[in-house]
Amino acid sequence: MNIITRRSILGTSTAAAASLALPNFARSAIPVADVAPPKLPLENGATLRVLRPTKFLDPDEVIFRENIAKFTAATGVPVRVDFVGWEDLRPQVAVAANTGAGPDVVVAWPDDPHIYADRVVEVSDIAEYLGKKYGGWYSLAERYGKKWGTNNWISIPMGGSGGPIVYRKSWVKEAGFDAIPTDHANFLKLCQNLKKIGHPSGFALGNAVGDANSYCHWLLWSHGGKLVDEDNKVAINSKETIEALKYAKELYPNFIDGTLGWQDPSNNKAFFAEQIAMTQNGVSVYFAFKNDPTKAAQTADTDHAPMPLGVSKTRPETALILNAMVFKHSKYPNASKEFIRFMMEQDQYEKWLTGCIGYWAQPLKAYAQSAVWTSDPKIAAYRDTCGMEYWNGYKGPISQASGAATADYVNVQMFAAVSSGQATPEEAVKEAERRAKRFYR
Amino acid sequence: MSDAVRDQLSEAEGPQTMAWDSKARRLITIYLPLACFLLILLFPFYWMTITAFKPNSELLDYKNNNPFWVSSPTLDNIRKLLFDTQYPRWLVTTMGVAFGATFISLFSSVLAAYAIQRLRFKGSKWVGLGIYLAYLVPPSILFIPLASVVYSMGLFDSPWALVLTYPTFLIPFCTWLLIGYFKSIPYELEECALIDGASRLQILRRITLPLAVPGLISAGIFAFTLSWNEFIYALAFISSSEKKTVPVAILTELVQGDVYQWGSLMAGALLGSLPVAIFYSFFVEYYVSSLTGAVKE
Repeated sequence: MNIITRRSILGTSTAAAASLALPNFARSAIPVADVAPPKLPLENGATLRVLRPTKFLDPDEVIFRENIAKFTAATGVPVRVDFVGWEDLRPQVAVAANTGAGPDVVVAWPDDPHIYADRVVEVSDIAEYLGKKYGGWYSLAERYGKKWGTNNWISIPMGGSGGPIVYRKSWVKEAGFDAIPTDHANFLKLCQNLKKIGHPSGFALGNAVGDANSYCHWLLWSHGGKLVDEDNKVAINSKETIEALKYAKELYPNFIDGTLGWQDPSNNKAFFAEQIAMTQNGVSVYFAFKNDPTKAAQTADTDHAPMPLGVSKTRPETALILNAMVFKHSKYPNASKEFIRFMMEQDQYEKWLTGCIGYWAQPLKAYAQSAVWTSDPKIAAYRDTCGMEYWNGYKGPISQASGAATADYVNVQMFAAVSSGQATPEEAVKEAERRAKRFYR
Repeated sequence: MSDAVRDQLSEAEGPQTMAWDSKARRLITIYLPLACFLLILLFPFYWMTITAFKPNSELLDYKNNNPFWVSSPTLDNIRKLLFDTQYPRWLVTTMGVAFGATFISLFSSVLAAYAIQRLRFKGSKWVGLGIYLAYLVPPSILFIPLASVVYSMGLFDSPWALVLTYPTFLIPFCTWLLIGYFKSIPYELEECALIDGASRLQILRRITLPLAVPGLISAGIFAFTLSWNEFIYALAFISSSEKKTVPVAILTELVQGDVYQWGSLMAGALLGSLPVAIFYSFFVEYYVSSLTGAVKE
């Protein structure tokens, strides 16, 4: 396999550039336990192909490639990594899983290893080693890493992207609040006041993978609703869901126009153009300001906060988890597992985490001590992203059904239908129940 | 004709307007619908063009900038596309795949359409119907089974995978189109050639194909455009960044999470649409004549 390409040379040179971009990078005082790694003898002549979602920002890719080069230097195993668009990753994973061809390691989306659970290699050995060495796994990481109802790890979560509130402090203050409220009534009042002062809020209600799911899941979970119960029975048709839908209907008129059609980039654009005072997003909105020298005032005025708790005891949010899995069709399962372990070790992982400046948060608790989280106090809201207690398909097992119901926007479209006035809460919840039952048979 | 009438006619310039015709009527029935049609067709290209030349500050701030115009045009987006990505290579790959798939499809379709339309073998109608039905199977159903075939042939992650799989939807379409065109060519011409002792292949090469050039060009343009724009197979069968085609590659490289680099994306789409537009402009007359039926008995 020819792994020296123009792109790899480009990658190496940009890796050098990224190193220069992090001149003060130094290992943090990460509490590390003395644990011996599992013995994974590398297969002779091993070469690896890795597939992962495209970068969030340049250092995400540059440092990832730099770490791969270190792995090759340390083990002699050539690795080729390909990046693919977020929406386009799933078809490629489906092809790899169904044909038994393609990448050895896929850094996929949270549900993917559970959809192809019978086609991936168990990775309990490296998961347990990493957990012991780095202070244990966060709850959401553990939930997505283990096969449901077992202690068997089928994937290694590598990071999580959260979606708290991003807001303009001065406008929220002008609307009569010093901070983002934690209860529904005051949150509604805040949105109403923001609209009155001409700086409305905006939450996505289109078929947006990240933002619309985040907002509509928050609506459901913060009212105590759930898609299915612990026994995997569809449980969305409940009084809690009806309450959530009524609340969504009250909230919606206070948004900026057009949120029914919003995709993932829409709120970034509106926030950057200063059309909205508040939205729910990853850290990208904040860094769009921070990276623009002409927006210093806006950067200083932007902050993050968790979504209101409502009736939930913990943050009613989830995260987009990067979930690395090794396919059984790989001729080099040991090399693949060793590759994942190597990437999660402090020498490599902390530099990548630091370079990602909060876009991805760690799944292992020890990395919460990384200096990246104190480098800018405004990104602290993203630090414990992988500690959320909710997941797609809450409160049932993570499965093909939960993945399909999320991909079909059952929850999002239920809230969008009521917000737009297309359906009453009772009609919308019945329709959502009918659609959910198609997946949960 | 009286002198008065002759004088009146000589004063007139250009064709005479009929009594029922008028400028107002023409405006409403021809020019206004035409203007609407042009606006709807060309606006996306206009939007694509101005976005490609807009700096980010203008793209994201419609309060202080006119969304329909560029105040401070920049070449940054095009520079980024051409020099910071592998766009030229993607363009060459896309073109190679489109030409290869079009050639294979046209060659196969000509033989299939001629056989079905002219040889009239037993069951030819059913074969024609079967080919048409094959066109109706959506690629989203076929891409996983085709992936197995591609892998077993050792073509995975190679542009040849696309050159050989695109004909699965191009051949049915081109065959169906050419069957209709061959039908419009008078059969008597071929009968004359048969009497003169020409073989079937000679008839196809010397009589039918020269008469069917507009139909071939029409099918070729459709095949080329469909190959150029194809997404799902290109996404599923190619994983190396440098071997990707334009529609897939620009999305992979220029969309970073929830941040879309609209300027470079639009520059990529604009430059990517130019080869198709140029290709089309060379053959537009043939294309129109094939759709209106050029061969008259």
